[in-house]
Amino acid sequence: MTWLAISLIVIGLVFLVIGSIGILRLPDVFSRAHALSLTDSLGAIFVLLGLAVYEGFTINFLRIIVVLILVYLLNPVISHATIRAAYRSGLRPSKKENK
Amino acid sequence: MRIFAAIALFVLWLVLSASYNLIHITIGAIIASMISWFTPAGPLHVRRISWLAVLGYVPWLFGRILKSSFHVSRLILHPGLPIAPELIHHKTQLTSDGELVVLGNSITLTPGTITVEVAPGELVVHTIDKSSCKDLVNGLYDAKVSHLFLAKGDQ
Repeated sequence: MTWLAISLIVIGLVFLVIGSIGILRLPDVFSRAHALSLTDSLGAIFVLLGLAVYEGFTINFLRIIVVLILVYLLNPVISHATIRAAYRSGLRPSKKENK
Repeated sequence: MRIFAAIALFVLWLVLSASYNLIHITIGAIIASMISWFTPAGPLHVRRISWLAVLGYVPWLFGRILKSSFHVSRLILHPGLPIAPELIHHKTQLTSDGELVVLGNSITLTPGTITVEVAPGELVVHTIDKSSCKDLVNGLYDAKVSHLFLAKGDQ
């Protein structure tokens, strides 16, 4: 059970690292938001699932599941608000052609 | 209606809170009532949803998230950074608030596509490359979301 928890958390951390690399490498705010949504949707879920498995069926398990649902409901709203603010203040995506 | 929202928020506080002494429970009660009081009771028209369809939609969306996460990870780690970002104007036949919320949030949750602007019948979506927005452009998302809500006559 502990090994399942560890492997879930490590998978989550891999996605968190890839998301961070993406934030550094991608050119503008719009593309960086894609890397951010990668971190949110898979990094967070695997780390939280790993913690839930590690915890077993206690009150903390319930708390982690509630946080998981809240993450999935709130993250798209926050990314959308950020991107819409960038768009309305006049930023446009940079055109990087496919090489 | 506000009292139900306040009770729901207070229960959420009790579930998430780790300490059950008087001061923390009082703070939770005050915050729950303040949030429900200051939230405007807007004219949000939400149509009835079919829970059976939701049961099918959530695993489908999670599969999409997994698939496009691997795609975006590959783009990020690729040495040449082969991205082709663009804004697309997506025409949709969905117009009600509930449908637009679900569609917009699903698009944003899927890595590779982000909803920028929402209006009834049209969404501005930023996409990181051509293959990420393929299923959005061919209307797969619209069809899936429209099945979640019961027909207009049923409400």
